[in-house]
Amino acid sequence: MRIGRLLAGLLILIGLAACGSIPRDPDGTLEQVLDDQLLRVGASPAEGSVTFEDDHAGGREADLVTAFAEELGAEVSWTLGGEGELVDAMERGELDLIIGGLAADSPWADKVSLTRPYRESTELDGSTVKHVMAVPLGENAMLVRLERFLDEVDR
Amino acid sequence: MTEGEGSRFGHTSLPAAQHNALVRAKRLEWVSLAYLITGAVVVYLVMGSSQAMKAAWIEDLLSLIPPIAFLVAVRRARREPSVSHPYGYHRTVGAAHLAAAVALLFMGLFLVYDSGSGLLAGEHPPIGSVDLFGHTVWAGWLMVAAMVYTGIGPVILGRLKLPLAEELHDKVLYADADMNKADWMTAAAAIVGVVGIGLGIWWADGAAAIVIALSILKDGWQQLAGATRDLLDGEARTFDDSAVHPVIDDLLALLRRTPWVAEGGGRVRDEGHVFHAEVFVVPHGDLSVEQCEDLAAAVRGLDWKLEDVVVAPVAELPPALRTGPIGLQREE
Repeated sequence: MRIGRLLAGLLILIGLAACGSIPRDPDGTLEQVLDDQLLRVGASPAEGSVTFEDDHAGGREADLVTAFAEELGAEVSWTLGGEGELVDAMERGELDLIIGGLAADSPWADKVSLTRPYRESTELDGSTVKHVMAVPLGENAMLVRLERFLDEVDR
Repeated sequence: MTEGEGSRFGHTSLPAAQHNALVRAKRLEWVSLAYLITGAVVVYLVMGSSQAMKAAWIEDLLSLIPPIAFLVAVRRARREPSVSHPYGYHRTVGAAHLAAAVALLFMGLFLVYDSGSGLLAGEHPPIGSVDLFGHTVWAGWLMVAAMVYTGIGPVILGRLKLPLAEELHDKVLYADADMNKADWMTAAAAIVGVVGIGLGIWWADGAAAIVIALSILKDGWQQLAGATRDLLDGEARTFDDSAVHPVIDDLLALLRRTPWVAEGGGRVRDEGHVFHAEVFVVPHGDLSVEQCEDLAAAVRGLDWKLEDVVVAPVAELPPALRTGPIGLQREE
């Protein structure tokens, strides 16, 4: 009997999964970006990836994010600062996305969700750096949407 | 893994039914090992940062211990008793059983702590996507697929092993079969956790992990109790520890049927697979060596597990002896 009930529960879950979009954000980050048409991006300076120009960021990663915002039909609101400050702001729910030369081995991995590496580069000392971006921790719809975008840019 | 002619546990050569069960059990355990290893690799590759998947993976790794313990134990227990090991090597089973139980118990404790603290801290587990042949797929679906794979096999293997465990009176094999049978629940819990994350219910994962951890803990506790009882020379019980072994009743009935026995009782302990029985008798009048030996032979004839039997004629029965049928005598 217990087996039957569990199976039924599973089926309901999978049914729900098929209808709704999976994954969803526990805190609704992606939904809010789409509703407000505003993508709040934190950028910290990183050589070759992010440069500061007056009140907004430029460089390769900033261009990627601008294109991502366009796909979502949102404007970018830039916050410029150091990595640590930006991660704190993201934990307070003030940012949707962080760029700034983040690497896959970033120490912030338990405070924010890092994307899969979207690009690899070789540094002067011969080591390989896997470049990633960050979204709020566990906001999986946002994470997957961004990763899909980065995959498609790549392809 | 086939045996030559006749398998044995120490100097007990196994009857045909037990011999066949042993051959089958060994084959099943090798299959289990192969299946569990592929399962553990698959789960490791997809587990990401889901706590429930991590718990399920650790349970997969832990479930490698009983098959290995079983295979090592039956190999060791085959050795003949010697002057330095007069009772043979049957206790290998007990040692293996204890090792498996302790591993389960501590892993369960660790996982309850690990998942519980994550849940209390309100950690939101991130599960991103994977690039699968040019498609961006949510990694959660791969986890669900992996759990379906690891959930199905053990249930079937567990059901096949259970009757063999009874036939061989092998408690490690029983523990293994019992854990396998419950494996689908682990898989289902992990699936609920992952799908829960997908639905935006961040705590589903941690909650599922705790459910899995508690089931590991419960297994560990039960096995530890069983293994300890046997190592403390508790009275022999059935393969699943549910009751005193019925062969003890048979032994007492045999004593009552033997005309020259005025009073009798026995101490029967489980060495692992086979029993060691000490039978105490107070005879009517004089007793010959032959009568004693005949009684010992009759006891050995009761069950293949009764091989090492000592019959001791005494003037008065020692204390703490089972003398009356089970159910009529109160258990201490």
